[in-house]
Amino acid sequence: MSTTLFRTIQPNHFTLLTTALLRTRRTSRHISVRCQTSTTTQQSSSQQQQPRTSAPKNHGSNKLDEILKDYEAVIGIETHVQLSTSTKAFCSCPNSYGSHPNTSICPVCMGLPGALPVLSSKVVDFGVRLGLALNCSLSLKSKFDRKQYFYPDLPKGYQISQFDVPIASGGYVDVDIPLEFGGGHRRFGITRVHMEEDAGKLLHSDAGDYSQVDLNRAGVPLLEIVSEPDIRSGVEAAEYGSEMQRIVRYLGVSNGNMQEGSLRCDVNISIRPIGQAEFGTKVEIKNLNAFSAMSRAIDYEITRQALLYNQGQADQIVTETRLWDEGAQKTVTMRKKEGLADYRYFPEPDLPEVILTQEYVDSIRASLPELPEAKRRRYEAMGLGIQDVLFLANDVSVAEYFDEVIGKGADVKSAANWLMSDIAAYLKNEELSISDVKLTPQELAELIAAIKDETISGKIGKQILFELLAKGGTVQGMIKEKDLVQITDPVEIEKMIMKVISESPKQLEQYRSGKTKLQGFFTGQVMKMSKGKANPALLNKILLEKLNAKD
Amino acid sequence: MATRALLAAVSACPRRRMGIKSSTCSSSLQFQRQESRIIARSFSSYTNSSLPDISRLAETARISLTPAEIEECEPKIRQVIDWFGQLQQVDVNCVEPAIRAEMEGGNLREDAPQTFENRDSIRASIPSFDETYLKVPKVLNKE
Repeated sequence: MSTTLFRTIQPNHFTLLTTALLRTRRTSRHISVRCQTSTTTQQSSSQQQQPRTSAPKNHGSNKLDEILKDYEAVIGIETHVQLSTSTKAFCSCPNSYGSHPNTSICPVCMGLPGALPVLSSKVVDFGVRLGLALNCSLSLKSKFDRKQYFYPDLPKGYQISQFDVPIASGGYVDVDIPLEFGGGHRRFGITRVHMEEDAGKLLHSDAGDYSQVDLNRAGVPLLEIVSEPDIRSGVEAAEYGSEMQRIVRYLGVSNGNMQEGSLRCDVNISIRPIGQAEFGTKVEIKNLNAFSAMSRAIDYEITRQALLYNQGQADQIVTETRLWDEGAQKTVTMRKKEGLADYRYFPEPDLPEVILTQEYVDSIRASLPELPEAKRRRYEAMGLGIQDVLFLANDVSVAEYFDEVIGKGADVKSAANWLMSDIAAYLKNEELSISDVKLTPQELAELIAAIKDETISGKIGKQILFELLAKGGTVQGMIKEKDLVQITDPVEIEKMIMKVISESPKQLEQYRSGKTKLQGFFTGQVMKMSKGKANPALLNKILLEKLNAKD
Repeated sequence: MATRALLAAVSACPRRRMGIKSSTCSSSLQFQRQESRIIARSFSSYTNSSLPDISRLAETARISLTPAEIEECEPKIRQVIDWFGQLQQVDVNCVEPAIRAEMEGGNLREDAPQTFENRDSIRASIPSFDETYLKVPKVLNKE
């Protein structure tokens, strides 16, 4: 039956798959309903009610749901993290992004004869840090190996890496899937973390039969993280990638920018019929510049491979590397691999063992910051909803700011709301980060307290927030300076109400003859008169009394 | 030139095997966690009976050999591998595997940047350097 389904698919439906990502209802033939309940319906004539299986939720695409009933995707991710050290891994050349090409070079990273590598202590430190953060076992003794191949951006003709004894192995990472993709917790295994050096940058010019090489990047330290093939969908992969980014930023070992190339993810993906124990043929996907691209590439590849299976052409799936074409939104063959590459690994003779003492490891473990997973669980325990939790824990600076605010005693839910709504909107508009705002956590706590004890109204609070964010200052100072204290004396409010009523007899007439909506008009007038300081609750209560009185 | 090929072959020699069958094809990696204080590691590319594919090896090492040279090399390489193979007869079951030959580790460098003073002569010595970049043949695929 699924074969007939696929025969009705026109090629351009694959582009429809991507529009499904926008999570809007498609008004074309197929309607997909995103919900937590157990049914998916589509209006194609050949389908009836489909019960949703326990397969992972994806972008609401029916094609993918269909496929995932028959096939399971097995996905592993290799992540390369460029470390934010001051020097390269094996020489003291400066490690700074964006320098003029071929200026950060020396005989060691250029691979000139006679030059010898010397490992940076910072690289070991960062390796241990990341290994611990990913819950790995550390190898107290590890070594470097030469991975040999020829390529124009590889000066030595080999890359110094770690082959069989990596610095860390056997870990895991816990993630929370965002609500819009189904929510829930997942744990993905980490096979290993190892240290290695980056190659230079190769630039291909369209004209001519030559390319250009910039060796500033050659020798920059990398940590490679290899995951277990535990990932099952594009959504899970994107979240794994995001969590890797979050962790390296939390730890301060890398700035984790996919655009800059300091975080690179390659996906290995195969599919197999559900129930089959053996893995299918593995395909590698490269050239992914964003987590969303990763997700779309995986969805595309699952569909491509399933199609071949369904057409009885599973043997057309070969071990190869494919590139993600962002423009065409599809994967394309780069080159078919002829068997596995033979890198002829052997231990790097120019570098001694890397030896870690237990004390060293323990001291690093003790200095680790609170990691994203721990933060999320702590915020959940404080009573925040998962949406708030995911937002606040996403950026380490925002989380730190939030922790400071509630550290000053502010109400947790209020603090979360301010950060997620008004402050987040301000940061987005002004293109700033939380570290740039002039509003200190102390003052935000003050603001929350002032509204809570009704010194000022919520509306006034929002107004002065803007100024506090832009110019700083204190809440108390601003209240005094602008005379913003809320009017909570019922006598005073009543006076203002009576005045407004007496000045608007026509509206009073209309209200009393049924136009109750005009209450808003009166409220507005009193607010105007009081310069916004009247306590809204009290105002409405007394206003209603007066409006409905027989007088 | 032939010696280079030999070196390449030797480096792919079978290492310490603790009675564990290793695969005959490309590098296999078995990494077993400690159970009884001895970590079993086996990472051989070739068993005793098979030889490396000399022509393939020469290609990956970018060394060109004529068929005659390959034929000439093979027995010599076999001899070297067999010679090293004698090590397999040593009983090392009660010895903890060493990762490297020497015993000291360490020798780490501070993360303090230093500019190399003579970068100009490095760039000057590159035949195909054009002001900013190294000019190289257009190679699109890694090995």
